Amino acid sequence: MHTPVTAAQGMAIGAFDLSKAFGSRKVLRGISLEIAAGDFVSIVGKSGCGKSTLLRLLIGLEPASSGRIEGVERSAARLVFQEPRLLPWANVARNVAVGLGADARTPEMARSVTAALRDVGLEARGGDWPAMLSGGQRQRVALARALVGHPRLLALDEPLGALDALTRIEMQRLLEGVWRTQGFTAVLVTHDVAEAIALSNRLLVIDHGIIALDLPIELPRPRRRGDPAFAALEGLVLDHLLSS
Amino acid sequence: MSGAARRWAIWIGPLVLLVLWQGASSFGAIPARILPAPIAVLQAGLRLTLSGSLPHDIAVSSARALVGLVIGGSVGFALGLLTGVSRLAQALLDPSLQMIRNIPHLALLPLVIIWFGVEESARIFLVALGVFFPIYLNTYHGIRTVDPQLIEMGRVYGMSRWDLFGKIILPGALASIFVGLRFALGIMWLTLIVAETLAASSGIGHMAIQAREFVQTDVVMLSIVIYALLGKLADSATRLLEEHWLAWSPAYAKGG
Ligand SMILES: Nc1ncnc2c1ncn2[C@@H]1O[C@H](COP(=O)(O)OP(=O)(O)OP(=O)(O)O)[C@@H](O)[C@H]1O
Ligand SMILES: [Mg+2]
Repeated sequence: MHTPVTAAQGMAIGAFDLSKAFGSRKVLRGISLEIAAGDFVSIVGKSGCGKSTLLRLLIGLEPASSGRIEGVERSAARLVFQEPRLLPWANVARNVAVGLGADARTPEMARSVTAALRDVGLEARGGDWPAMLSGGQRQRVALARALVGHPRLLALDEPLGALDALTRIEMQRLLEGVWRTQGFTAVLVTHDVAEAIALSNRLLVIDHGIIALDLPIELPRPRRRGDPAFAALEGLVLDHLLSS
Repeated sequence: MSGAARRWAIWIGPLVLLVLWQGASSFGAIPARILPAPIAVLQAGLRLTLSGSLPHDIAVSSARALVGLVIGGSVGFALGLLTGVSRLAQALLDPSLQMIRNIPHLALLPLVIIWFGVEESARIFLVALGVFFPIYLNTYHGIRTVDPQLIEMGRVYGMSRWDLFGKIILPGALASIFVGLRFALGIMWLTLIVAETLAASSGIGHMAIQAREFVQTDVVMLSIVIYALLGKLADSATRLLEEHWLAWSPAYAKGG
């Protein structure tokens, strides 16, 4: 690896026999999962299989029906949604400051906001309204908002789903970059198998409420989609998804 | 057309109308008893301004409007906030308020006069009652329609209840609250006109009624013009506030 990952920064988390039911519908049926500090894990699966639910349970946004979660420190965990969910009435800088849990009142906080905006390549847009940004830029602001508090766990629920292919690849590089320099634990839910393989160290397939496949991805970084090894992994996962 | 040109262009129509009107009056086509000439109205305005009675009447009317707006508006706003954020308050208050809303507040005028007499409090009560509902309804509606995804975001990012309210719920409801304020302003002037015309010993409405007794059409006309100007002024003030507070919204941004 080019940049040393500071593993102390990441959060090590575990889920044990986690289940979740909505009424009589069982969405998750006993998921056990340990994620090492500073790891990058992707979760893929068919629509409606419970990926978002698992993520929401992991960061404590929703209670589990049974089972337990360990190691998650809520104040150091951040979630990036599929939509940017920016406050339209607050400028970009103040939206990012939401991630600090306060307005950027002190000069120190203002510096953190500026640094987070620089990380996502938007340092010049701090004074703009969200309405003035493109979809990709808004999602970058949302990422800056998640990063500004230096989370030790970053959960991402299809954060790039609404972006066009090119912006998506740009954002993937950005995400990989900040993950490598900051060393947080990343859990990414995505529809896109190639995205999961490009970014993560480990790929989980959820099916019928359980982890149907737990695949380590040991391709060297930076990864290239055209590589035969990349394509082979992608084929393997897609086959698994389609056959189930 | 450039912005400046357009700003001037909107005056062309009214100006042409005014000139035609003045011309028709000067040549006797419109009797002054039916419709006084614009210049006569202007002269009446000047005369009453110099005598001090017009500024006094305007001040009295504006004060009534403002006091009524502040009382009715703040009660409506407070109750709208309450029913907006609390399910309990909503269940307790909203059905009754929705029922009362169907009574046209001006229908209460005789009752209000019995309660308060032909006093200042009667007129202020009517204005307050009139502005209450649009502000209440739009505040409540605004709060209830704040994007739940934003509220969830606030919760995930650890906002306190107070921050949630101040940074997400209130700003999210603001556009709707302004809609309520605009409706309220219209109702405010309308109520005042009725209340002052029927029962008052000062104010623009009273000036008009007195002038009617002496068939001073120019003064009657003047009072109509003054009401129109006051209404326009209130509307422009609201627009300025909107431009400031809703600058983030492409729908309200200046020049948008
Ligand atoms: N609050 C809820 N109440 C009832 N059912 C729910 C709720 N949230 C999710 N579900 C159900 O749980 C299942 C899993 O939902 P979830 O959102 O986790 O799926 P997902 O894998 O994220 O799907 P997608 O890829 O389409 O986002 C779905 O069948 C959904 O209908
Ligand atoms: Mg989902």
